Amino acid sequence: MCKRAGLVLLLGAALARPLMSQATDVQRLRALVDSLSREWVRAGAIADLADSLERQRAFSGRDTIAVGALRIVTDPSPLPVRAAAERVWPVLDSLYGDAAALLAQHPYVIRAFDPDTNVPRSIVYVGLTVPWDMSVAALTRLLVANAPMPPPDQTFVSWFGGPLRPPTRAAQDRTDVYLDLVTAPSTPARACYLGGLRDCRVALGLQSGGDLLDLWYPTAAERRALVNRAFADYFNHGANVLPLHACAAGADTACEALLRRLPAGSLPGPLGAQARTTLVRVAMAMGGRDAYRRLVADPRAPMADRIASAANATLDDVMARWRQAILLSRPPSVALPWWAVSLALGWAAAFGVCALRSSRWRLG
Amino acid sequence: MFRVMLYTQWKWSRLIILLGTVAAFALPIISMQGAAHADRNPLEAQDLLRTVQSWGTLYPVLAAALGLFVAMAAWAPDHRGRHVHALTLPLPRWRYMLLRCASGAVLLAIPAAAVLAGALLATATATLPPGLQSYPFALATHFVLATAVAYGVFFAVSAATARTAGIILAAVGALIAVQVVAGVANVDFDIVSPLTMIVLGPAGPFAIFTGRWMLVDV
Amino acid sequence: MTNVIEIDSLHYRPGKGFALRDLSIHVPAGAIYGFLGPNGSGKTTTIRLVLGLLRPQSGRITVLGDRMPDDAPKILARVGYVPEQPHLDPTLTVNEIVRFQAAFYPTWDGARAAQLLRQFDLDGERLFGRLSKGQKAKVMILLALAQQGDLLVLDEPTDGLDPVVRRDILAALLEYVSQRGAAVFISSHLVHEIERICDWIAVMDDGRLVTEVPMEQLKNGTKRLRVAGAPATLGPTPFALFAREPATAAAETWVVGEWKPEMAGYFPGIGASLQDVIDLDLEDGFVELLRSFRGSRREGSA
Repeated sequence: MCKRAGLVLLLGAALARPLMSQATDVQRLRALVDSLSREWVRAGAIADLADSLERQRAFSGRDTIAVGALRIVTDPSPLPVRAAAERVWPVLDSLYGDAAALLAQHPYVIRAFDPDTNVPRSIVYVGLTVPWDMSVAALTRLLVANAPMPPPDQTFVSWFGGPLRPPTRAAQDRTDVYLDLVTAPSTPARACYLGGLRDCRVALGLQSGGDLLDLWYPTAAERRALVNRAFADYFNHGANVLPLHACAAGADTACEALLRRLPAGSLPGPLGAQARTTLVRVAMAMGGRDAYRRLVADPRAPMADRIASAANATLDDVMARWRQAILLSRPPSVALPWWAVSLALGWAAAFGVCALRSSRWRLG
Repeated sequence: MFRVMLYTQWKWSRLIILLGTVAAFALPIISMQGAAHADRNPLEAQDLLRTVQSWGTLYPVLAAALGLFVAMAAWAPDHRGRHVHALTLPLPRWRYMLLRCASGAVLLAIPAAAVLAGALLATATATLPPGLQSYPFALATHFVLATAVAYGVFFAVSAATARTAGIILAAVGALIAVQVVAGVANVDFDIVSPLTMIVLGPAGPFAIFTGRWMLVDV
Repeated sequence: MTNVIEIDSLHYRPGKGFALRDLSIHVPAGAIYGFLGPNGSGKTTTIRLVLGLLRPQSGRITVLGDRMPDDAPKILARVGYVPEQPHLDPTLTVNEIVRFQAAFYPTWDGARAAQLLRQFDLDGERLFGRLSKGQKAKVMILLALAQQGDLLVLDEPTDGLDPVVRRDILAALLEYVSQRGAAVFISSHLVHEIERICDWIAVMDDGRLVTEVPMEQLKNGTKRLRVAGAPATLGPTPFALFAREPATAAAETWVVGEWKPEMAGYFPGIGASLQDVIDLDLEDGFVELLRSFRGSRREGSA
């Protein structure tokens, strides 16, 4: 027993030092993390304070133009702010519905400057700096694209790619989505084009559960194409180089391994942001004035349910309506329009007439 | 008269026509290479469109080349003989020009038909991914119109007197010289770009060479 | 219609230097009209004006009763033309050229063309560019003759050709003229050739017409006279006095045109005696004519 105790004591003495140093390391690291966390919070507070001071500076000495719930803080200038605001407000109101009232608490800050002067102007960290010879149409587009609606929840922003804003080129967006459906190197996108609504869900990232990589890029060729076209530079260093080469040579396990190393949420979906934008617009149009409120009402609900709720219909109905709108936005075919044919024939005939007037008097 | 004109025109430009016909027939088929298998791999659509688009840039080049060389071939013998033979034939000048122009235009129909034949063959033997359509007739029409415009302009220039050709060249040279001098003198003056836009713009004489030359598209 | 070609008061000036001035020519129907002149005198230019290849500044050109260049296509359908330089496409064969030409002339005589091909010993499948100079000339003559036109315009058709070829061409020409009664307008600087076949002659020098007379008149009417005792100044003469030079101390040599034997009676009237009348051939007459013409122009400009 004494021997055993002695052995234990000996063992304890032998292990005590490394164990004690390990504990010290952990404590040190923990303290470091705590310190960083406190610094982060302090920095955030300072940044908020700076923002607040900037806003106060931006607001002081400027007029506020109010149209509906829209507020625009600007300094007196030839810039046609009111005219643009009167165009912008109905657009924002129809998109956000009753939620548009929130815009009153989030005004635009516009600083107009004389484009014809070389006098240096002070830097403004809040709002938009705009030359005061900007046209009403251009200013309207600028205001629409920068609508200061408070961002919805992070889940929506992550799925949607940013805050929801009114469209500036809705028809072109739909056409681009049509092209994506036809040409995207993705089985779900193609199946969605051919009519599979379930595949449309998958392509738009609205499926519930399942492995994203297997759902979005089920074949080896698609995975290889994704790595080579979108991530060749990203993986071309360090320990990823060899798997990258193997993937390019056709080894699917290498391609899959690389794609699974991507940070969470960075695997690109088969259809881009425009597809999701157009889907949400369709849902908003179906859902009427209260659609936006329903869309952002429950941040914890899955995006599929939120979109269906916004549209006040089933998700399949929204998908079908969206797919229909996209199919109707097929780009114009490459066949020449009649006027182009007529012009070409006219020019050929004109040159022919010039030739017919070739002079007889060529000698001498 | 037209028959002998056509015969002589054929004799002068048969090599050009033959080479152009082979190229015109082969271009659509080459551009659709790899599209003949039935595997509906979703990657095919993008690859196919990319291939078709890159080969498609050769159609306007071929059309312009055919128009140029056939027009030159139409006039080379007359230029060599200083037009004496043509001017001593018993028909008005304009009628002679019309016969020459028409005979060249008839010959240019051969490569145009080859484009259509090649395009029809290429698309008939290919399996297109869903969502893609083939446009053999649109492509052939585009090619015919581009060839007609190219032939028209080069025919008119070739038929002009040396004085007229000199005036045209002098005008072009003057434009370029003005542009170069403005550039050297650091003067903000750009006349070439607006002229290019006018010439290649939607209503311009060479607008037909722009646009999408796609045998297959969405 | 008495004249197949009528040129009245024609002025043509292509640039600085050379010009056709006040040119008036009348080619009678059925005549073989020789157009003689040194190089650069304006023969080819005149022919091009007649064929509507050049546009005159002023004057009037009538060919086969129609105005040139207004009625050029109508006129050219009845005119066969052989230019000085070959003007046909060298990449076509002889047969192809014949077929091409035939398509434009309703009066084309295919049998005649075939006969001339045999007569001239031409290979129909040979490229025009591969033919010799003489063969090319034969092809151009063939085309002009097979057209069966009413007027042939030949610009130095035998220049640079060997005598055999020249003989063949001239023989075909004369045969054609005798069969059809067509008029021929032939320019040349080969005096002997003109002398053999033409019945009318016009002489050009430096863009002006020196004379236009029947061949006999120029040939037989040009004489060299030995005259003694003639006064220094003369009044009007019944003949054209081209030149007058001292020959010996007592006699002079006169070169005259439009001479007739009865004009010998002129000399006693002026107190001179005609010692000798020497015939001049066409070449000598042509040279004396030009000398006299240039001399009188120099005196005029002085």
